Amino acid sequence: MTLDQKRWVIGGLGLLFLLSLVAVQWLEVSRRRHEAGDARAAVVAPAASRQCVDCHTQVSTGIVEHWTGSTHAEKGVACVDCHQAEAKDADVFSHYGQQIATVVTPRDCARCHPTEAAEFSASHHSKAGNILASLDNFLAETVEGSRVAFSPHSPTPGKAVQVVNGLAPANSGCQQCHGSLVGFQASDGGIITVRDLKPDEAGQPTNFEAVGRIVRNESGKPLFSSTSWPNTGIGRLNLDGSTGSCSACHSRHDFSARRARQPESCGKCHLGPDHPQKEIYDESKHGVAFRDLIGEMNLDAKPWVVGKDYSAAPTCATCHMSANLRNGMKITHDPGERISWTNRPPVSLVMDTDANHAVVTETDPEKRRAAISDTADAKRNRMKQVCSTCHTPDHINLFYKQYDDVVINYNEKFAKPGQAIMSALAASGLLTKTQYDEKIEWTWYYLWHHEGRRARMGASMMAPDYTQWHGMFEVAERFYMALIPEAREITEKAMRAGRTEQARTANQVIDEILNRPEHQWLVKGAEEQADAINREMERKYGQTRRER
Amino acid sequence: MSDVRGWIGERVPVSLDAVAAMSNEPVPHHLKRWWFALGGTPAYLFVVQIVTGVLLAFYYQPAPQTAYESVRYITEEAAFGWYLRGLHKWGATLMIAAVVLHQMRVFFTGAYRKPRELNWMIGMTLLVCTLMLGFTGYSLVFEQLSYWGATVGANISDTVPVVGPLMKQLLLGGDTYNDRTLSRFFILHGAVLPVLLILVLMMHIGLVRLLGVTELEFEGETAAEKKPFNFFPEHFYTELIIGLTLMILLSALATLVPVEMGPRANPQITPEVIKPEWFFYVAFRWLKLFSGTTAMLTQGLIVFVMFFWPFIDAWLVRRFKYAEISVWIGVVGALAIMGLTMWEALVAH
Repeated sequence: MTLDQKRWVIGGLGLLFLLSLVAVQWLEVSRRRHEAGDARAAVVAPAASRQCVDCHTQVSTGIVEHWTGSTHAEKGVACVDCHQAEAKDADVFSHYGQQIATVVTPRDCARCHPTEAAEFSASHHSKAGNILASLDNFLAETVEGSRVAFSPHSPTPGKAVQVVNGLAPANSGCQQCHGSLVGFQASDGGIITVRDLKPDEAGQPTNFEAVGRIVRNESGKPLFSSTSWPNTGIGRLNLDGSTGSCSACHSRHDFSARRARQPESCGKCHLGPDHPQKEIYDESKHGVAFRDLIGEMNLDAKPWVVGKDYSAAPTCATCHMSANLRNGMKITHDPGERISWTNRPPVSLVMDTDANHAVVTETDPEKRRAAISDTADAKRNRMKQVCSTCHTPDHINLFYKQYDDVVINYNEKFAKPGQAIMSALAASGLLTKTQYDEKIEWTWYYLWHHEGRRARMGASMMAPDYTQWHGMFEVAERFYMALIPEAREITEKAMRAGRTEQARTANQVIDEILNRPEHQWLVKGAEEQADAINREMERKYGQTRRER
Repeated sequence: MSDVRGWIGERVPVSLDAVAAMSNEPVPHHLKRWWFALGGTPAYLFVVQIVTGVLLAFYYQPAPQTAYESVRYITEEAAFGWYLRGLHKWGATLMIAAVVLHQMRVFFTGAYRKPRELNWMIGMTLLVCTLMLGFTGYSLVFEQLSYWGATVGANISDTVPVVGPLMKQLLLGGDTYNDRTLSRFFILHGAVLPVLLILVLMMHIGLVRLLGVTELEFEGETAAEKKPFNFFPEHFYTELIIGLTLMILLSALATLVPVEMGPRANPQITPEVIKPEWFFYVAFRWLKLFSGTTAMLTQGLIVFVMFFWPFIDAWLVRRFKYAEISVWIGVVGALAIMGLTMWEALVAH
């Protein structure tokens, strides 16, 4: 090679090297943009949805922006793919040449995600909308609001209020988590729901008279009832007969798995005085580790397998739904598959479930065995598979012993006795049939529905403060200082009113309970312990309770 | 300009013409062939390693509690960290490959023979230094495999009779991998071995200059073709082309095959499969073929033979009166190394 040729080669190679550095710079900038959340994959809307994207970019930018950053957009799944509807659907309307519906139901999602939809349909989540015959619903619709619309009793300056919607607390409260009964305005002033439409297996209405009564605007779009929509409650009762809403966790319109994996997603509903799972998690070592190590959670990983893709901390999804190395990396959309106690009712039940995923309440051993389709032990073993990613079998088994002990102590010392007292009062006719019209009913509700759940759920997820001070402490206070005195007051009142037999029967139940060994401290006193406490208080703080 | 040269000349009394003459000595004609101009490649890559290594050391924190996180920070967060780590990792791989290729070229052309026996031995020292740099560098990442690789490496050295336990102690700073082991590896990797390598490399290049490059002749060469040529600019250009090609190759590898993070080291969980870096595959396979002490002793013997090969070769030539005998031994040796390396690479355990 001549010198000149070498010079040309050097020049060419030098240029190539500079280009490689430019490529490196480009990669670095892309990485930074991606980290800052500025980068978006090149997204092209499929032909059928292009017009929707173009128009909605102008009229509702946020929807399109959200969708643009989604996996759906990357994979070419767009507006019409999810919102498409058939001519026979009750909620179909024509929108710029496309037949669409507003509500996207699990039936729609199942077109591409059949396994996930089937798992979800089997879950308690999907049945959360069936709360019509529950105490909670009675509270919201009757006690807090009114099942019958009523007239305002005085004017509201600046607002012309004609009628008070007594269902408002239920609509904006309960149903936003539990799910609404989706309905259209009816021409007779009522509401058309799935119960009127009676959809067939394909989700299409069979009651065409009801379809005909749906109020539509001038372009044919059916008009929703404000009592039912908007709503992304997880157990929503949809017009096509399906139940639930995938967007309860996978928020529209980016349907982010990353967001669904984070505890805040579950915290939309699983918080508050009656089921503070989110706060319990935050207090636990798991939650503390998550907040600290969120950068190591690899939340965008596909798949997202604990022990493989991350092990910094578990989130709600990790334990209840996500894949782990011990279960063949299987995800489930039925969180109940790994829960071994149900702490929802006043007395916790072992989560043996039947073929319909309902808790088996049968007490006869043989009949019970026959009815069980999935045992609580099997569910617990599934959860243990998750635990064993980070903990030894001894650790896991002993934790479960601690949890079981809390639940059983609550059940035996307070829940079953409380239930027996309430039943005795009711059976003796010392309570009205109406709920919440007597103080003791509120007391009992606080005890099991708020404080009792907090104690049990606190123990289930390792939050000591919820188990003790927000839990068992308040359960005990409510039982000894409210429930028992109020029950006694009712029997005394009955005695004074001459209902001696009923009062005696109820008192017998209370007496029998208080005579049990675990309540003897109240009946016979615990003076030795009190003396010891006083001595210790004196020694530690120089303070003591004044002696009698 | 002449004022500046005069000013410097008064304070640094070195003749620039003499320096120019020294650095521009005639280069043997065979170095016009690309294959024979690769001797400087390991040195070039070594410079890349020093530059990238210094930049990485700004971020690296050599303690079990911090090492993995600092490497993760370099790889995932620091500006151009992924690129620098990629260059350093691929630079190490190419440097070891270049050293081995250079050594094979020297071996098969008999360039180690009298009077260059000592320079061969210095070259062997450079090879050992390079491999040690590879071993200690791999261990610094504190991934599962690097941790267990270091542990296995230390346990292997323990099997050497008499000095083995001491070697292990010196390597780990204790009987087992402990809190001080990583800082020991770091100082070895970032200070002791590079300084040693620079000193030995200076001796190596010094001897090359003093003894001259072994001149090779090829059949059918004309007298004009056999004529030496100038270092500058002809050979300098050749080296520049090689350097740029290497840099482009490194840049491409660092970009297209970027380094990633393996799972963090966990002393409680032994991985099912422990593999060292590829350049130790041959030694690792050898260890699996023989029991610990036998394997270490035979490996020691092989290194010893390689080290003193110029003298052994001279004895063999005298004994068998056949000058090409070392070529055939070299062919068998090279095939054995490649075979054992491939074997280890292809099997799971």
